[in-house]
Amino acid sequence: MMLLAAIIAATVVIMALGFEMLLVLGIPTLAIKEVFYGRLPDVVFVQKLLGGINHSTLLAIPFFLFAAQLMASGQITRRLMGLVSAMLGHTRGGIGHTVIGGSMAFGSVSGSAPATVAALGGMVYPELRKSGYSEKFSLGLIVSSAETALLIPPSITFIVYGWMTGTSVAQLFAGGLAIGVVLALIFAALVMVHAARQNVTARPRVPWKQRLDALFAAGWALGMPVIILGGIYSGTFTPTEAAAVSVVYAIFVEGVVYRELGFRKLVDICEASAISTAVIFILLAFGGVLSFFVTLAHVPTAISSFLAAIDAGPILFLLILNVCFLIAGMFIDPNSALLILVPPLFPVATSLGIDPVHLGMIVTLNISLGMITPPFGLDLFVASSTLDKPVTKIIAGVWPFVAANLIALLIVTYIPQISLFIPNLLFR
Amino acid sequence: MATLLKVLRTTERVFLVTIFLMMVGLFTLGVVVREVAPQYSSDFSWIEEAVQTLNLFLVFCALGLALERKRHVGVTTFRDSMPLPVRRFVFGLIDISGVLFSIYTTRLGIEMVQFVFASGQRSPTLNIAMGWIYLAPTIGFVLLGLRYALSLFGVIDRFTPDTANTPTTSEKGAA
Amino acid sequence: AEFVAKIGHLESAQQSRNIYLEKVAKLVNERTDGNVEFEIYPQGQLGNQRQMTEGTQLGVLEATVSPAAFLGGFNPAVSVLDIPYLMPQDFKQAQAIRDSAFGKELLASFSSKGVVAIGLWPNGFKQFTSNKPIEDWKEFAGQKFRVMDSNILIEQFKAMGASAIALPFGELYTSLQMGVVDGEENPLDTIERMKYYEVQKNLVVSDHGAMEDVILFNEAFWNSLPENYRKVIVDTFHEVIPDLVKDKADKVAAALEVVKQNGMNVRVATPEERKALREEVYPATKAAYIERAGDEGKKLIGLYEKAYADVVGN
Ligand code: NA
Ligand code: NA
Repeated sequence: MMLLAAIIAATVVIMALGFEMLLVLGIPTLAIKEVFYGRLPDVVFVQKLLGGINHSTLLAIPFFLFAAQLMASGQITRRLMGLVSAMLGHTRGGIGHTVIGGSMAFGSVSGSAPATVAALGGMVYPELRKSGYSEKFSLGLIVSSAETALLIPPSITFIVYGWMTGTSVAQLFAGGLAIGVVLALIFAALVMVHAARQNVTARPRVPWKQRLDALFAAGWALGMPVIILGGIYSGTFTPTEAAAVSVVYAIFVEGVVYRELGFRKLVDICEASAISTAVIFILLAFGGVLSFFVTLAHVPTAISSFLAAIDAGPILFLLILNVCFLIAGMFIDPNSALLILVPPLFPVATSLGIDPVHLGMIVTLNISLGMITPPFGLDLFVASSTLDKPVTKIIAGVWPFVAANLIALLIVTYIPQISLFIPNLLFR
Repeated sequence: MATLLKVLRTTERVFLVTIFLMMVGLFTLGVVVREVAPQYSSDFSWIEEAVQTLNLFLVFCALGLALERKRHVGVTTFRDSMPLPVRRFVFGLIDISGVLFSIYTTRLGIEMVQFVFASGQRSPTLNIAMGWIYLAPTIGFVLLGLRYALSLFGVIDRFTPDTANTPTTSEKGAA
Repeated sequence: AEFVAKIGHLESAQQSRNIYLEKVAKLVNERTDGNVEFEIYPQGQLGNQRQMTEGTQLGVLEATVSPAAFLGGFNPAVSVLDIPYLMPQDFKQAQAIRDSAFGKELLASFSSKGVVAIGLWPNGFKQFTSNKPIEDWKEFAGQKFRVMDSNILIEQFKAMGASAIALPFGELYTSLQMGVVDGEENPLDTIERMKYYEVQKNLVVSDHGAMEDVILFNEAFWNSLPENYRKVIVDTFHEVIPDLVKDKADKVAAALEVVKQNGMNVRVATPEERKALREEVYPATKAAYIERAGDEGKKLIGLYEKAYADVVGN
């Protein structure tokens, strides 16, 4: 126990000293391995390092990062945002709401919050700043809106949860739709408050003639969402493949149609995207090693015996569940938290009469919140990498959204009807 | 030294770009075959596995360049507020830790590569030796450790913030 | 306990494999006077199957119970179990084949891989589902089926005239929903558990693919156990097989009811159809197996064909 405390203290110190996060995760994990699991072969460290990222479902991330950087440094982003600002620029908070809507639309196809941050972040950040949103708020909004990707179907998190618990994926998807909308509405309220306080300038209304021009100018750019969404919903490709196809489309439009993408520039963007990919994946890799040792330490068993011992009612149980996930979300990658925490919690929940679909909503909302809570919030690092902003700045911007999220979590936790309304309508 | 470093950078660059474009190309090819000539798509079932493997190399082989380009994330606010001599000491501490950590991980990587090659494990559809995939972290930590060492000896400067405010990464890439 | 073994596997806590692993753990502990303890880690808590198998070789964990389909990369010889209709549908006949010289040689083929295979556990059969009609094997022609990464399974669908599309398990539900693929093959309890009936119209109970689990122990750990403990472990794993099969059959029957109630069009393939399909796909899948498993594969196929003839006839 003393040793563990010392390791945790050392971790905090090296993080505060500005060690790269890969060292902040890697060095203490090595120490845990040596101190507590000395008998395991040392190479387990490298094996789990690879295991943390060798999943096909993560492949959408590098492709969306690549496509995002192609679009951001070319014409597609500029023209899409030109269109949005022509249509919505005159409304107060219009661009802010567009970010939320864009994240929901994009998240609906990618199913991955980090991929959504990567794809949209670079595109919308300059627009938000131009409209007068503060730097902190803009960063917080971009990072938090991406959470809807896990809630709006299809969502990998629901599929994994469905597999683990035997809950209907279709019902989870249906429930997620409502939760995603609840979250989006709460964020939209934050945008309105911020826009009013900051006195974000509403621009003069653009005449319809100019709006049509903007629409035509965005023609090829609009093909991007059409291809991604259309391709997935017509069954032409999987969401992961869609990400790869979006790169090809972006290269085609920027290179052949707009003629702004030379070979040299393509190589530069490709390399920069490779580096962004590495920066994100190495953290997932170390998260994989850490969660392996958390499992070996019987943390899940400890949780179930604790719950059995205190004999909590549903209200207290849900509170404990939320706290467990929030703590786990601070330190390990949220998907690992899912694998570690759901098995001990699920049987207790069902015995308390909590609906599995409702529990799925609570868990997924926790997971998505874990993506934006410091110190280990994957989306924070993705935003830092795509927008080239220090993590601390993003963390500073994210707090109001974390608070809003906690309110959403309380609402969803204690009003099960929100989660179950659509599934009941469709399936029961 | 400068020339050697330049050759290394160019090699990494060519390698990463080739891998990434291959990943895009292969997935797209898979989609096209399935749509145009599904009867042949069984012959392309190795694509999934190939792209996943290439991605491992992409991730690890970019670690070194990422360090040199100051792209790795960390929480630097507190450190940056410290007086310069203390900060210099911390920089050294980080670089030394990075070198040692990379050396240790590389050693484990080599052990793992040898073990898996010896065990004869092969991949399911590509039928290549699985030892190759553990070469990715091994190479990656060599490249990372090298950058930590170069920073320690002052050959590269990775602590002074960039003066130009360049949000688009493409300009950085051209450096 | 003197000997503690971490045993990892992929299935969830309520599934047959886990229930019987817990049972074996309890029996072994009693029979060794508490000296051997099994810690069961279900649901891939210790990693995916490839990592768990590799981990068993390395000594990261002491044992794993793996579907044979995931072991082809470690030991090409084991892929023989991927061949459709390899095992007879009758339990006694199938068990006789498992206990035959073929079964023993199959387990022995792991010995050069740093692991000790101590037994095979039956885990049901695979069935076909599709959104397109599959009333007749001919109707498979031109349909797109999802397969696991396995050359033999790819050959199986090719021989039936269908396209085999390799997709990750996690993407399968959405891919069926969106129509990226028309159909898939899985055991009935998986079909029920993953709710594929929500996104699939038709099911043929074909029982074509035998799901066999291989029980693998780390070699160094196994050799460190006293002879009598090893025997207790092997015998206990073997002894529970009839109960395991019965438990699985009950779960499959319940799953079939759920699938039917949810409106899936269910059809049970006749013995003649099964025989015809076996004859149709056996040559191609056998060839694909031998191509990959070489001489060892040839030898195993020889032993298998002899055992099959002894047990089933012809
Ligand atoms: Na989604
Ligand atoms: Na977090």
